[in-house]
Amino acid sequence: MTHTTAPATHDADSLRKFHFTREMMRGSIYRKYEKAINAIWNPRELDYARDLEDWASLSEARREALLGLTVRFFAGEQAVAENLIPMIEAASALERFDCLMYLSTFVMEECKHAEFFAQWHERVAGILEPEEVVPYFMERAKTVDPTGRFELKEVVHEGIPRYARELTEAVHVADRESIERAFLRFLTLYNGHVEGVLTMPSYEIVVDTCTAWDVIPTLKHGYRRILSDEGRHITFGTTVVRQLLAEHPDWEPLVHGVFDEFRGTIVGLVEYQKAIPELNLQKYQVGKVRHYRNRCREMGVTPDETLIEEILDPSIDFVVGVTAG
Amino acid sequence: MAGPRKRYVCLETGCEKAIEADTDEELIRAVQAHVSEAHGSFELEEFILAGSTEVEPAP
Repeated sequence: MTHTTAPATHDADSLRKFHFTREMMRGSIYRKYEKAINAIWNPRELDYARDLEDWASLSEARREALLGLTVRFFAGEQAVAENLIPMIEAASALERFDCLMYLSTFVMEECKHAEFFAQWHERVAGILEPEEVVPYFMERAKTVDPTGRFELKEVVHEGIPRYARELTEAVHVADRESIERAFLRFLTLYNGHVEGVLTMPSYEIVVDTCTAWDVIPTLKHGYRRILSDEGRHITFGTTVVRQLLAEHPDWEPLVHGVFDEFRGTIVGLVEYQKAIPELNLQKYQVGKVRHYRNRCREMGVTPDETLIEEILDPSIDFVVGVTAG
Repeated sequence: MAGPRKRYVCLETGCEKAIEADTDEELIRAVQAHVSEAHGSFELEEFILAGSTEVEPAP
């Protein structure tokens, strides 16, 4: 074995060209990258034959109810995939090579989730082109809380892109602390609020619907694979938020501020809860609270008990259109 | 000498059951069984790992 003699002195510019350290490779973010690499799956290799067979026997009402769910996921996966680049820019600006490596799998997975829905809609439901899927996409921009207590905002198609623009602007014009603040806000909204609380019951609703109807097994299988990927995404975000809060403990109000801005969205019922009569509505609101408490624990912040009471309040029963991703 | 045990507290409303195991794999299995049986729901592996702590084994 030939050994190369190391130079006696280390030029700072040369050292900056190398990012791998033993500490980084032992860290929780790098391990998510390793897990993601080991867990790669291919939507084109799934068997859609049974789903196609079941689809032919489903009533028109059930087909429409199911497409109301799946088409929103299809749109949502595409929407989030379009807003991931600012996270990579932030990771690079903050010299977090572990985050950058993990995010490379994150981007691929969100694109792959969109591809899964493309494959399923094309092969099973026979729809793919925008004009074919749009009729099943329920626009909820005008959703209002009848009590007037909550303002409802479009979190996926307006909130995430706006937070992404703020992060990009911070990366290009601001100092490290401004980038960290914008990164924390983006991660809180995307991974904590949207992926981590709002859409978790939506995944469960689709899985429960397929189980209750005993049909469409590959759709259910695909959702389970997506959920497994989402578990890494969500805990990536909450881990980095926790790390940022460890450096800036006085920033916890930023986390609560993000949840507050989209409070109405999280308090209202998930759209699908009323679309499938077989489902137990309260189960998903209770589950939403568990997910919220879990995210707070992971981020190291104190849960907002008023928000929890509002989610569990049965008198608050307006339905929010949720686009998952 | 036994190493630290893994501990996870279920945060379902009104539950707060504490589950302990010797390894991450055992903890994941135990928590997923609890959430399925007690709450008719599921908890993802990554959530269990991210929410768990290490505790010293009982003497």
